[in-house]
Amino acid sequence: MRNKLTILALLAIFQISSMIAQERTVSGTVTVASDGMPLPGVNVLVKGTNQGTITDMDGEYAIEVASDAVLVFSSLGFERQEIPVNNQTTINVEMVEDLEGLDEVVVTALGISREKKSLGYATQEVDGEDMNLTNEQNVLGSLAGRVAGVQVTGSSGASMGGTQKIKIRGVNSISGGDQPLIVVDGTPISNANFSGSAGADFGNLGQDVNPSDIESVNVLKGPAASALYGIRGQYGVIMITTKKGQRGVKDVQVQVNSSFSIEKAGNFLPKQNMYGAGSSQSFSTLPNGDPYVAISVDESWGPKMDGTPVRQVFSFYPQDPTYGQLTPFVPHPDNIENYYETGYNLNNGVTVSGGNENTTFRLSLNDTRIEGVEPNTYLNRNNLGLSAALDLSEELTLSTNINYARNDARRPGQGSEYGVAYFNQWFQRNLDMNRLKDYKYDDGTFLHWNLRNPSSSTGEITNFSPLYWNNPYFDAYENTSEDTRDRFFGDVSLKYQITPEIDITGAIRSDMYTQNIEGRTAFGGKSLPGYSVGKYQNKEFNYELIAQYNKKFEDFSVNGTIGGNIYNRNYTYLSQATVGGLSAPGFYNIDASIDRPSTTSYKLEKQIRSAFGMISLGYLDTYFVDASIRNDNSSALPEDNNSYWYPSISGSMIFSELIESDFLTFGKLRASYAQAGSDLSPYQTTPAYGVGTVYGNVNTLYVPDNLNNPNIEPSFAHSYEAGVDLRFFNNRLGLDLTYYQQKNKNQIINLDVSGASGYSSSTINAGLIQNQGIELTLTGQPIKTDDFLWDAVFNINRNRSEVVELAPGIDVYTYGSTTYSSVSSYLNSYEGEAFGSLIGQAYQRDEATGEILLDQNNMPLYTDATHNFGSVLPDFTGGFQNAFRYKNFSLAAMIDFQGGGQFFSRSKMLGVRTGQDPLTVAINDRGMNVRDPLEDGGGVKVTGISAETGQPVEAYVDARSYYRNVVGRRIYEEWLYDASYIKLRELRLGYTFGENLMNSLPFDTVNLALIARNPAMIWQEAPDGIDPSAISTGSQSISWYESGQLATVRSYGINLNITF
Amino acid sequence: MKKTYIIIFLSTLILGSCSDFDEDININPNLPNQASGTQLIANAQLYLPGLASSPKGEFMAQYLAETQYVGTSLYPQESTSFYGYYQGPLANLQTVLDSDDLSGSDGPVANQIAVAKILRAYFYWNLTDRWGDIPYSDALMGSENFTPEYDTQEFIYNDLFNELKEANAMMVSGSINNDIVYGGDMSKWKKLGNTIRLFMALRLSEVDEGTAQDEFNAALEDGVFTSNDDNLVFQHLADANNQNYWYSQVVASNREWWALTENLVEEMKPVDDPRLEVYGNPARATGEYVGLEFGEEENIGTEEYSLLGSQIFAQDAPVYLVTYAQVLFAKAEAAARNWTTEGDAATYYEEAVEASIEQWTGSSDGVDEFLSQPEIAFDPENAIEKISNQRWVHLYMFGYEAWSEWRRTGFPNDLVEPNGAAVPTRLSYPDNEAFNNEANYNEAVQRQFGGEDSIYGKVWWDE
Repeated sequence: MRNKLTILALLAIFQISSMIAQERTVSGTVTVASDGMPLPGVNVLVKGTNQGTITDMDGEYAIEVASDAVLVFSSLGFERQEIPVNNQTTINVEMVEDLEGLDEVVVTALGISREKKSLGYATQEVDGEDMNLTNEQNVLGSLAGRVAGVQVTGSSGASMGGTQKIKIRGVNSISGGDQPLIVVDGTPISNANFSGSAGADFGNLGQDVNPSDIESVNVLKGPAASALYGIRGQYGVIMITTKKGQRGVKDVQVQVNSSFSIEKAGNFLPKQNMYGAGSSQSFSTLPNGDPYVAISVDESWGPKMDGTPVRQVFSFYPQDPTYGQLTPFVPHPDNIENYYETGYNLNNGVTVSGGNENTTFRLSLNDTRIEGVEPNTYLNRNNLGLSAALDLSEELTLSTNINYARNDARRPGQGSEYGVAYFNQWFQRNLDMNRLKDYKYDDGTFLHWNLRNPSSSTGEITNFSPLYWNNPYFDAYENTSEDTRDRFFGDVSLKYQITPEIDITGAIRSDMYTQNIEGRTAFGGKSLPGYSVGKYQNKEFNYELIAQYNKKFEDFSVNGTIGGNIYNRNYTYLSQATVGGLSAPGFYNIDASIDRPSTTSYKLEKQIRSAFGMISLGYLDTYFVDASIRNDNSSALPEDNNSYWYPSISGSMIFSELIESDFLTFGKLRASYAQAGSDLSPYQTTPAYGVGTVYGNVNTLYVPDNLNNPNIEPSFAHSYEAGVDLRFFNNRLGLDLTYYQQKNKNQIINLDVSGASGYSSSTINAGLIQNQGIELTLTGQPIKTDDFLWDAVFNINRNRSEVVELAPGIDVYTYGSTTYSSVSSYLNSYEGEAFGSLIGQAYQRDEATGEILLDQNNMPLYTDATHNFGSVLPDFTGGFQNAFRYKNFSLAAMIDFQGGGQFFSRSKMLGVRTGQDPLTVAINDRGMNVRDPLEDGGGVKVTGISAETGQPVEAYVDARSYYRNVVGRRIYEEWLYDASYIKLRELRLGYTFGENLMNSLPFDTVNLALIARNPAMIWQEAPDGIDPSAISTGSQSISWYESGQLATVRSYGINLNITF
Repeated sequence: MKKTYIIIFLSTLILGSCSDFDEDININPNLPNQASGTQLIANAQLYLPGLASSPKGEFMAQYLAETQYVGTSLYPQESTSFYGYYQGPLANLQTVLDSDDLSGSDGPVANQIAVAKILRAYFYWNLTDRWGDIPYSDALMGSENFTPEYDTQEFIYNDLFNELKEANAMMVSGSINNDIVYGGDMSKWKKLGNTIRLFMALRLSEVDEGTAQDEFNAALEDGVFTSNDDNLVFQHLADANNQNYWYSQVVASNREWWALTENLVEEMKPVDDPRLEVYGNPARATGEYVGLEFGEEENIGTEEYSLLGSQIFAQDAPVYLVTYAQVLFAKAEAAARNWTTEGDAATYYEEAVEASIEQWTGSSDGVDEFLSQPEIAFDPENAIEKISNQRWVHLYMFGYEAWSEWRRTGFPNDLVEPNGAAVPTRLSYPDNEAFNNEANYNEAVQRQFGGEDSIYGKVWWDE
């Protein structure tokens, strides 16, 4: 091997002599070894020169070379081949597919292309095709399970493009704000999120990338790989590279992609169907003696639904055909399911690409239309992309990427008390959803299902304002929330190739968007009518200058980069809302505000100025060392202390170069140390006052609840990493094992402090949170024959976090809390423990026996909301992706999984509290329904120890008192669930039509596929009806409780892809 | 040539990465960097109605019963946060008191300070009465102390007496701006400060009668309320930004969740108390005043019982906090306890009832007839009980204050114990104090209640 390299190096040195060798034209066809199909876009390079070409659509190439030259054939995803010309004029090449190519070139930090084998840190790429398998609503969701150590959690498909959150190697920010930087073709783009933890989930803005433009995604998992991003690199980087036109291909390639899928809601929480609305098992009666349904109660602790003729809510509306009539009191078992509609997702895209010797060009257009499973919800998205490059001269290349995205959506609310999530929490089992659907009578009166009780003198209802909840259809059609976003991002760059070794690139990169959000609250519902509107505009510019030096000496290779960057962000918004109602129905405008409207105008400016350098040395293609340094100055930091340095160093050794082995194809050891950081939003280092309510003509000001800090420093992550890459049996089996440790110091957090200090929180630099873990990726081709191929990638990550220290005198940090009916629970982190313990009310237990303590009424006693239930974080996460190909058929299946972790479910708890859950109609060990009177043998059996007497107790208690007032309201211990699951996330069965057919059609390729998104939860520990993979909603960055989760959505469809 | 390029390039970088930004780039342009003392005081005043307008407070004094979702009125063991008071009004007032650049253009600086001191004392007094020992000396220090120690209630009372005396002494002539409650009238602030002292002194009647008596008379000496015009009242506005809490509940949220208790109606209806038609509306089913038994869980509803009075939940309703009638009840009590030789208990008692009726109904017509009824007429043999029961009727809708007086005097003595749960004797500390301020919290709980942060612990003055 070494000899061969020496010879090649000698050849390179004596290239001048080869110049005088005879020139000739060599041509040929490059095909794929496995199926013989022509392979376009293969780089054909004369070794040791910059001279080269690319194969055309038919896999053909022609090149002028010296007779003794060596041709290098390379293409992403295939093994590189070097073939000496040896006076041949025709060289046909069969490219062998390479799952994890040894000579694979990956895009690393700052867009620098590097040979993967030379890197001293872990990197894992995802192919663009995998990001497009089934058209996820939010493209970032397609990363789920594909990369070891990268956890993606998101909301259900009912959200219409809702949030997908990415966590790399555990929780690295104690405040949860550890989203990676997203970089598209070198341009950092905003991944902001306008959602709260409840309400409409507007999704994270990273989803504006057109999935069909993605060539590949490379995840830089933390500082070792992302140190060159300095103050923006602490939480890793998602590097997205888009597809480009190809140089030298004179053909124009057109690709059309269409898919259509239907979306169905599924996975509902089970409900009881025996007892209907009410608080007691008997009906109240009207003055005339007619029984009526307890319409003022939104719970199902009422009478048996045995068909008794009763006055139902509809019969009190004089406009209703059943007015005054008695109708049978019966269950509607599917009333919740009936609310959901069949949605669809229609996606059409076309791309045109081409190029010649001096230019490349690619234009893409995509249109997505999604109708949601919740009535009257939609998301429309348009993407337009243009990438082009033009050689101005031999040395100068001008290139650009321009992306435009438009989103236009009406999204459902989520979270408790928002949208229709209340169905699982507060509802009547006797309600007929189909009757609620016509929510408006002809005279304009709105139909609602919970009202004040009828007058005990007249038996009529005169006030039709809903007591607790609007008719869900009223919310869907009248109380709408709409949002639009226009977004541009991209770059213009000029590259100057000074010498074959040195080039300088200057680039201007920008990302700008305008987000509009509008909300309406209509007359005739529960809430005061209102209107709110906000316009949010963000502009980010990066001005970048980078010089690169690449040189191969005899045994050495040198790669150096030096550069600078200026980052500038301008963000403004104006948001307004009416106060006190609207002046006229249907007049949705700030001018309609009855009282002084609330308005906020806001502007923000931030700059970061940076300089950086990197050097990479290789020796004998076996030993590699990288070192880099970056300096960042952030305007958001205190003026006299705003400059920080971020170094990194890494090394690797390809030991397979040193040993001969039949089964070991490739082996590499690597290790690295790096630092990266993150800072904070501007204006947090100097004090300011808040603007309070205006009373009459008195303008009030107040001291804000968060205390700003003039001494804040950026947070630093120190990362250590070591790993081994092994490939066996000619790449049929691969193993990539990484151990990492990341110490996140000086976290910038708003620490909750005792309110008695006058503040609720203080911005501080806090302590140390440490993550360490192991990532394992196995790749393999268990079966590989001429007709059948099975590719599999399995990855798993086990991460351990520890909050090593917080701040002096502070040993607990509250990440979040949630309060319902005066009962709170918290997500706390304690010094010396794992991140994120769930804190809440538990059963009081006898110390000696562990039995539950009971009060004098035999009801369980409960603790304060200070019981520590342990960490919510999973023990391990991972994915298993499989691709099968049999002749022209292909099957891809993506599975992801999580082991451990926990959450509490408010939907389940409230379902029990309100008598909807089947638990509340269980049969007790006396063979009676728990709702039956105690004297008849009913009641819930409780066992425990009397707190008063210390004696064991076995007793039966009233089901409603037990579930509604105690267990379903106050004892969170009962509603904690393990979050483990195995989920089949994506499935695609495709067929590529054969060449014979293509010859008779004007197409190059036609692929038809059946696709399924989220087709099945294979296994989960938590009860049915709750999806543990989608519990975190909106901007809540850590999943620790479920409250009003959107319905699970499964979609099935068809995809057609044609190129010509 | 190449070297030249590199040098040019490097120098560009070094220039580009210098650390000097525009001087004010990190100064927040969206919020004021300066606040006048009176604007901060005004914001603190916005929190005054919140001291009274709280269902939990009304349940403690059993003025209101729950018509549905009966829960909070069953006195569950649950924590109640005091953080909002520290972060809100107290932080504003402390900022005024710590300021060294208050502007005289908003009125004499001494008067701004005096008003801030009186309001701070009033909030702290309410807090310590509800929870017991609370952070005080160490509180409101921001980053200088995130884990303040709890001071004893006794220490806090003594310090508040001094604070209020200082406020009384430092006032000068000249009104202040931006005063929502008294329009800048310093004579009213002066009386308010002394009236608060008067009530605080009375609160110590059972634990330290000597101090109580001395402080009581000292406050009287300095001048207390002399008519209903002096009352500390927060007037809500007919404007959603400044509306009454009960309006937002009953009207804006359509919540008819509260009825007058049977206890209250039975106290007022048999004697034709003219305040009853302000306090509540007749039951819709019968047109009669019908109280709902406190803590009743089964026979509940919104039709059969008297719900909150329309004036009580009006959008622009007043919230009465410190009133002249209370001063007269206090004087009556002091006379009955022989703390003072000035005036006699019966007269003060009758004047108190008259002031109360005038405050609530706007008229004192027929008061004499009302007072002549045997149930109402003063009874020297049961002076404290008579005074306390009428004070309880008067303090309607400021349940927390009435509850403090119940704890002190034991009257009314017929409060209900729902499901056997006695009326609590304090509020439990905020849950998160146990995380945020663990050592001091534990010490305070241990010191006062032997380690259990229960709602049945007794505060210092509650003997």
